[in-house]
Amino acid sequence: MTDNLPAVSLHGVGKSWGPVVAFENVSFDVPRGQVVALLGPSGAGKSTLLRCINRLEGISAGRVYAYGELIGYRETETALHELADAQVSLQRRQIGMVFQHFNLFRHMTALENVMSGPRIVLGLPKAEARIRAEALLAKVGLTARKDAYPAQLSGGQQQRVAIARALAMEPRVLLLDEPTSALDPELVQEVVATIRALAEDGQTMMIATHDMAIARDVADRVIFMEGGAVVEDSAPAAFFTSPRSDRARQFLARLLKDGQAAPPQSPAQQDARS
Amino acid sequence: MSVAGPAAPVLAAAALPIVAQRRWGGWVVGGIVVAFVAAIVWGGIRSRILDLTIIGEYLFHPAIVAGALNALILGTLALGISSVIGLISALMRLSGNPILSGLSAVYVYLFRGTPMLIQLVFWFNAVPTMFPTITISLPFLPGPLFETPTTVVVTPFLAALAGLSLAEGAYMSEIMRAGIMAIDNGQRSAATALGMTQRQVFTHVVAPQAGRIIVPACGNQYIMLLKSTSLASTIGYPEMLRVVTDIYSSNFRVVELLTVAAIWYLALTALATVIQTGLEKRFPPR
Ligand SMILES: Nc1ncnc2c1ncn2[C@@H]1O[C@H](COP(=O)(O)OP(=O)(O)OP(=O)(O)O)[C@@H](O)[C@H]1O
Ligand SMILES: [Mg+2]
Repeated sequence: MTDNLPAVSLHGVGKSWGPVVAFENVSFDVPRGQVVALLGPSGAGKSTLLRCINRLEGISAGRVYAYGELIGYRETETALHELADAQVSLQRRQIGMVFQHFNLFRHMTALENVMSGPRIVLGLPKAEARIRAEALLAKVGLTARKDAYPAQLSGGQQQRVAIARALAMEPRVLLLDEPTSALDPELVQEVVATIRALAEDGQTMMIATHDMAIARDVADRVIFMEGGAVVEDSAPAAFFTSPRSDRARQFLARLLKDGQAAPPQSPAQQDARS
Repeated sequence: MSVAGPAAPVLAAAALPIVAQRRWGGWVVGGIVVAFVAAIVWGGIRSRILDLTIIGEYLFHPAIVAGALNALILGTLALGISSVIGLISALMRLSGNPILSGLSAVYVYLFRGTPMLIQLVFWFNAVPTMFPTITISLPFLPGPLFETPTTVVVTPFLAALAGLSLAEGAYMSEIMRAGIMAIDNGQRSAATALGMTQRQVFTHVVAPQAGRIIVPACGNQYIMLLKSTSLASTIGYPEMLRVVTDIYSSNFRVVELLTVAAIWYLALTALATVIQTGLEKRFPPR
């Protein structure tokens, strides 16, 4: 029954800290299996929006649904009652998250990091969690490094472990907040390749990014935010070739000037695809 | 000759020995200090202040060994209790609840801000005066279930244990708070996003890493506690300083007996250091 419900549905969602507004009145649906790239200049509210979806941040207005389930509240006829920590953590199990700075648990090996969700949250037996974690590390190409601690891994390797850790919970939506922004240019490729493989597997994803290769080649849809509002919502090809709004045009022009993205595709980006 | 001059040193450079920089200042100061200490020790032995045979005689005197053991028991129990108090107080302080956080701050201020000695004397003398009897009664029962003079319950041992634990708990509270705050919010977010409850985030992610950070500071506090047990001599608990004082007040071998006590305190400190080093190795690397 939940199959035809959107994976994520935002209804007039807003977030502010006192006078500081991160975003206001954001509404859109993300269907199952879609890969959404969230673009926008620094401070547009992309990270905050993602953190509101799995309720790492409480929202100030509106409603967030994941597969039809209201996140963070229980709704009665008269009010929205905030859910207790135990109930929100149950809801978070189906929403994975990958962070800009990887945020691996530094006292655990790569394997233990990937096992942590199944072991601690789902209470799976150790052997079972281990099989699941080893399969995921193989998928992101890190079997050889499974006993390394985060401090012993490169940035790209850490981010792949972090992706495997999120996938170990078998999330129905994966939120990625600038997954490649903290990486050296030559390490970006390996992480982009991992994300592309997930997209091909049909993983529903929302990716806040400044990496135009992800937006253009991996995403099915681009949502462009600026100043706390959704300015443009279109297919990647349309967004990059004929942006409708002036702000999106300015944003792309700035990127072109900085040499970050250059439609048509450069050879380096075609390499990244293979 | 004058033309070839500049080139010669460059060619010879590879073959020349390297002369390490000499830090003469350190050696001179070190030498003066060693000579000074030797003069004091030699002076002590020559004027018979320090008789090594007496030290040997009393080092394993049963009363003194018992005193050392009492110091070890008191210090170790106080460390255990103060760790629990410190953890609770630190969690209260970080809870975000203004009442809990305020209570914790006041506790730390009071117990860290007054001398331990005063606190020990307070528990032993002032509390029995304030509450002369301890009564436990149940509702709907005519008489008290249990009644006893407070002085019977508040023995020197209990008063010392309460005093040391509560005073030390205030320091532990700050040590643990610092350890907990040292874990970055990114890891907490990641754990929360996986679906861990706040309790699970603490026990599986924050505590193991904070534990590693606070071990050296706790080792420090353990050593301080072991030595602070000597304060209990003032309320009549037979720990080492008390025993030693009793002995030298009859035989007047003050220096030897204080040296014996010092040797035992050093032995206890060595034990604490070994435990600390062991714990540091046990926690996984970061
Ligand atoms: N904890 C906070 N308290 C107050 N204001 C905040 C907080 N977190 C974010 N903001 C503000 O919210 C706005 C949106 O921030 P956000 O991090 O979501 O932007 P972003 O689009 O992710 O930017 P970037 O591309 O630089 O990551 C900014 O103006 C920021 O200053
Ligand atoms: Mg951001």
